[in-house]
Amino acid sequence: MTTREQAGRSAADYAPPAALEAIRRGALLTGGVGAAAAILGFVLDPAQFYRSYLIAFVFWLSIALGCFALSTLHHLSSGAWGLMIRRILEAATRTLPFLALFFVPVIPGMRVLYHWARPEDVAADPHLQHQALYLNVPFFIGRTALYFAIWIGFALVLDRMSRRQDRQAGGEVRGAPRDPRLTRRMQMVAAPGLILYCLTATFASIDWLMSINPHFHSSMYGVAFVGGQAVSALAFTILVTLWLSRRPPMDVAFRPTHFHDYGKLLFTFVVLWAYFAASQLIISYQGNLPMEVGYYRTRTHGGWGTLSLLIIAGHFALPFFLLLGRDLKRHVGGLSVVAALLLVMRWCDLYWQAAPIFSPDGPALHWLDAATMIAIGGLWIGLFAGQLARRPLLPVGDPALPEALNA
Amino acid sequence: MTDPHATPERPALISPGYTSGTVTDKISEVVLKKTPRWWYAGFAVAFLLVMMLLYAIAYLFAKGVGIWGVNIPVGWGWDITNFVWWIGIGHAGTLISAILLLLRQHWRNSINRFAEAMTLFAVGCAGLYPLLHLGRPWVFYWLFPYPSTMGVWPQFRSPLVWDVFAVSTYATISFLFWFVGLIPDLATLRDRTKNPAARIIYGMLAMGWRGSARHWHNYDSAYLMLAGLATPLVVSVHSVVSFDFASGVLPGWHSTVFPPYFVAGAIYSGFAMVLTLAIPLRALFGLQDFITARHLQNMAKVMLATGLIVAYGYMIEFFLAWYGDDPYEVYMVANRALGPYAFQFWALIACNILAPQFLWIKRARSSPAFLFVIAIIVNIGMWLERFVIIVTSLHRDFLPSSWGMYHGTIWDVATFVGTLGLFAALMFLFIRFLPMISIFEMRTMLPEAKVEEEPK
Repeated sequence: MTTREQAGRSAADYAPPAALEAIRRGALLTGGVGAAAAILGFVLDPAQFYRSYLIAFVFWLSIALGCFALSTLHHLSSGAWGLMIRRILEAATRTLPFLALFFVPVIPGMRVLYHWARPEDVAADPHLQHQALYLNVPFFIGRTALYFAIWIGFALVLDRMSRRQDRQAGGEVRGAPRDPRLTRRMQMVAAPGLILYCLTATFASIDWLMSINPHFHSSMYGVAFVGGQAVSALAFTILVTLWLSRRPPMDVAFRPTHFHDYGKLLFTFVVLWAYFAASQLIISYQGNLPMEVGYYRTRTHGGWGTLSLLIIAGHFALPFFLLLGRDLKRHVGGLSVVAALLLVMRWCDLYWQAAPIFSPDGPALHWLDAATMIAIGGLWIGLFAGQLARRPLLPVGDPALPEALNA
Repeated sequence: MTDPHATPERPALISPGYTSGTVTDKISEVVLKKTPRWWYAGFAVAFLLVMMLLYAIAYLFAKGVGIWGVNIPVGWGWDITNFVWWIGIGHAGTLISAILLLLRQHWRNSINRFAEAMTLFAVGCAGLYPLLHLGRPWVFYWLFPYPSTMGVWPQFRSPLVWDVFAVSTYATISFLFWFVGLIPDLATLRDRTKNPAARIIYGMLAMGWRGSARHWHNYDSAYLMLAGLATPLVVSVHSVVSFDFASGVLPGWHSTVFPPYFVAGAIYSGFAMVLTLAIPLRALFGLQDFITARHLQNMAKVMLATGLIVAYGYMIEFFLAWYGDDPYEVYMVANRALGPYAFQFWALIACNILAPQFLWIKRARSSPAFLFVIAIIVNIGMWLERFVIIVTSLHRDFLPSSWGMYHGTIWDVATFVGTLGLFAALMFLFIRFLPMISIFEMRTMLPEAKVEEEPK
């Protein structure tokens, strides 16, 4: 089939494959089993449940939220790279309201997770008393509600515009009247969306993760969190494109050049993440102040030191050298292996950030870490697959689509 | 001939009606025709300023760095401010030439050449300052790890030594990138000039370029490889510069977000400088067809985005100063906003954060005169930013008994204005003797160069 025939296909030709339904059911079922196990774990060891749950929640939220950030970036840069994955990103952003619900179990766990949420700890620590103006229970919950309101609001507005673009095109890629202003209007929404995302994600990272470690603060923390989300979201998206590119209709739409672009983008994100993480380490090391060095001291000794080395190797060195070459980036199979590795490393990184305060001598893996990951992950993937099945797999109404298909 | 891909939303990057021949004529005639009168006037002013720089440097060598305002506690003043300012300006050139090339952003093709030249000259100006600041600049080579009989060895754990390597690598790669990109155009000038002496010089510089397919093939791979090498340098050079500050424990310097925040600031000021140069140049030489409104708009957008990242840096630094509850950090913030340098601080906020917000408005982005004003304001704001970071942190640190004030002297001003003159003089020479827009890259953007695949 030539490119021109491909560009002339309509919305019906990009209907999601029926196999998505099987994925959805399977994921929801797995998630349900995981949830049952997690609830059992909660009964047996509530403290451990909260610790595991927070990391699992942030892990899955990072994917959906990173997809939101990538979609705003796509609208603003108006590059072809984003059009081919836009529907995947949009489906992920439509799960954000459900993820807000997944936050609810964190609220009763605040006393377990955060020193500043325990009045007896605050009473003994003048530093926490100072921070109480910001770090207190009602404000923490209120802020989280505000973050989600902003993310969901912007995501839904963008998503609605994208759907209108489909309808305007009458489901046809070529030959139908289009409204070029819609592209521009999406940019006008995406710009403040991206700015507010950067701000809210920064403060969310401070609230949820950084404040677990009392007395530690680093101005890079939010930046590194955003960089990590970009890796999470793109790695997940690449795995979805792998699945889609193996079956009609997308098997003919995706080409090696597209994967090459995603490979380059993933490489960029991996390097950026490493740059943020390494800068924070170098500056903390050179400054040698107790507040920062204490954070790293725990993480460079015993089992945590091993995990640190593992993260350096798996989150940076290995993907860096694998993605340096051209061939791997052009094959979705190889690219997906790197993406899967990076998703595992994303969990390790979050665990590395949040867990050492609870077991300073070394990682203490618990079966609840897996159970909560499976619970949220299964339910979330089920929701995601359901959302992905609702629309054509390409934004058929976007004027730039033919160009993107031929890229 | 019009570009079939152009739409009202995205106008073509070259005004319609050009062919390969007319593009070549238009750009090369700037170099090959008679020198315009304003060029002499402009170069004369710049040259005078260079003389002033030489005078200031000669006096500095005779008297020592005491002629500057630096002393204890403020040992870094205008000199390091200028160093960071100049080196930051260079970053936009590398970003435009290397990163935008790798991102396949073809609009860069008409601005990369003079942006790269700007990088080279800015790095040259920047490099002067640390050398002059050494006090004994004639022993500058002690910074390099050479087998010294005195057993002197650089302190490799100091970011100041990393700076030496970062900046010299940067200067080398920037020069190679610029020169390799020039070779095909130097050959064009060699073939077109009527002046026999110029033909020999351009011919030697063109290194025997004949434009064969093999030449182009080698050229393309060399250029891409240099772009790949230059890309990390955009980030690394200014990150190392930020380590100069962040590695210390001084309040206001020790902040982990410094590297990306400095890099964004560098790109911000660099794009401001590109606009400062591009807007008058296109008007003087009538190059509006090549450096179009779309170019100016894109650069304005980059400025707006990087300006917002810089604002994020200020915001997070202030918030964490409160959050961390360190008395020295809190005092540093209060001292910046309310202390003796409050005017400079608020001026920097107005220049760097408030002024660029006008760029949200499309009409503001489309007016070259307005953009020029904003670009100048950002240039000033970024200079003030470095001044505020350096001076306010040093002048009042942990021990109130060793607090002091800092004021630049006439020699600081003379040196700074002198490097502005040096930069301008080099730019004048560049636009006179070399094509300021890449001729062959512009030709590839013409509609006639776009090959449409025949439907099968």
